Amino acid sequence: MAATKARVGTKTILVIDDDEDFRTAVRVVLEGEGYAVVAADSGRSGLDSLKRCTPDLVILDVMMETMTEGYGVSEALKLSGEFEAFQNTPVIMVSSIQESPDELFPRAPETDMIRPTSYLTKPLDIPKFLELVRTLLRG
Amino acid sequence: MEPGAEPEVIVVIDDDYAMRLSCIEILSRSGYRVEAFEDGARGLDAVAADKPALILVDLKMPGLSGLEVIARLHEINPIMTVVVITGYATIGTAVEAMNAGAHDVLPKPFSPDELRLVVQRGLERRRLQIEAHRADLEREVQRRRFVTFVTHQLKTPLVAVHQFLDLLQRLGEEPDAPAKRAEWLQRCLVRTEELQRLIEDWLTLAKLEGGALGRHRTRVDLKPLTSNLLAGYQALAASRQVSLNAELPDTPCPVHGDPICLTVLLDNLVANAIQYNRPGGRVCVRATCPPGEVVVTVQDTGAGIPREALPFLFEEFYRVRQPGRVSPEGTGLGLHICRRIVSEMGGTIEVESTEGAGSTFRVRLPAYADAPSTTTSAG
Repeated sequence: MAATKARVGTKTILVIDDDEDFRTAVRVVLEGEGYAVVAADSGRSGLDSLKRCTPDLVILDVMMETMTEGYGVSEALKLSGEFEAFQNTPVIMVSSIQESPDELFPRAPETDMIRPTSYLTKPLDIPKFLELVRTLLRG
Repeated sequence: MEPGAEPEVIVVIDDDYAMRLSCIEILSRSGYRVEAFEDGARGLDAVAADKPALILVDLKMPGLSGLEVIARLHEINPIMTVVVITGYATIGTAVEAMNAGAHDVLPKPFSPDELRLVVQRGLERRRLQIEAHRADLEREVQRRRFVTFVTHQLKTPLVAVHQFLDLLQRLGEEPDAPAKRAEWLQRCLVRTEELQRLIEDWLTLAKLEGGALGRHRTRVDLKPLTSNLLAGYQALAASRQVSLNAELPDTPCPVHGDPICLTVLLDNLVANAIQYNRPGGRVCVRATCPPGEVVVTVQDTGAGIPREALPFLFEEFYRVRQPGRVSPEGTGLGLHICRRIVSEMGGTIEVESTEGAGSTFRVRLPAYADAPSTTTSAG
């Protein structure tokens, strides 16, 4: 694995997940590719960290303290005036449970509003994950 | 019928014009919307389109017979009350109609009151059926949520292990590789242990719920049980620099319970007291025997439990959030199992906690002499 390549102009990725080992693993993968990583262990602290950093991409776990905490974060990012600056920040939602947002939220308009940019199942397939990250950061 | 509610729709299928007319007149006056058809085919079309609450169907008709209509009605909507009206009412036809899926039989000729009564009864039956159906759906939603939740709990440590193994496989020869390798392997071990504990706790809970555990009640003296348990925990306590002591009375502390369950109960409480303690801390297990009961307290000098967490502490999969604590925390099942065991044994469990000072768990169990001696397996 390549050594950390962080440098000026580096893209920042915010990782919100309540499992410390998962955060560590994602950090290792992303920092290995030269991205800067900010990690948060809950939806609340993830949103708090937006006061201190401006991520170019958010990796967001679905089930944390509650079963749909990730969607709460996604909703705040997309709809709350407080986080207006991040309305168009791409979000990769990750979960060990293969459950599409449409099943969790039967009403289509709501689902559309808080739908993540992409959805990945844990454990992450590292090459595919990095490819997606590159694509979203380019776009 | 509730005021302002949409009138309930009743479909009448009968080839007798006079019969259709009287049904419309009688039932319309009672506030129902009535649609009447002279043969099965048209009746079925209307049923598919209008979703009536109740169908009155004649048995002998040209074209589709009443029995054929009933069979097709149930294909359209299983929750629909069907009442047969027939001029050839014998026990035989009634049984045949009921077997085909009818819920009631009204022999012709009938009085307006008889018709209204049968319709009311049928609609009441349907209401109960709908309520039951709703309750079933709600239970199913809850069950699915729970299955999702448990799956998530089991997969979380597995995901961590997978992710680290994948990283280990990709690890090159950089200078910090050995340190990383050692750290990640250690985490894999910790997480597989977590997964094992989770599965064991889950199994214990399933056994308790299924009755496979907790049935074998006998006289159990908590004194030797506690001493033996603590002896087994001395090494772990020492490694955490926690002192582990017991204050037990001179006399026995007999309770009426399942020895395995009681061991699981104390094991969970003592393990927590050591795990959530601080270096230099203490764990003290006390037993007292006030009249009629045995009281066991497990006191620690750990971080304590936040006040807002106390009401949920014994809930399934509840974990106290402790910032800065390295995962894994507990399985979230230990204290839930404790509560189940204690209530199974007819006792109570409570907790007092001061943040920063520690927690005390207090279990009260009925003493052996007072316990109902329903089993004869003592000794």
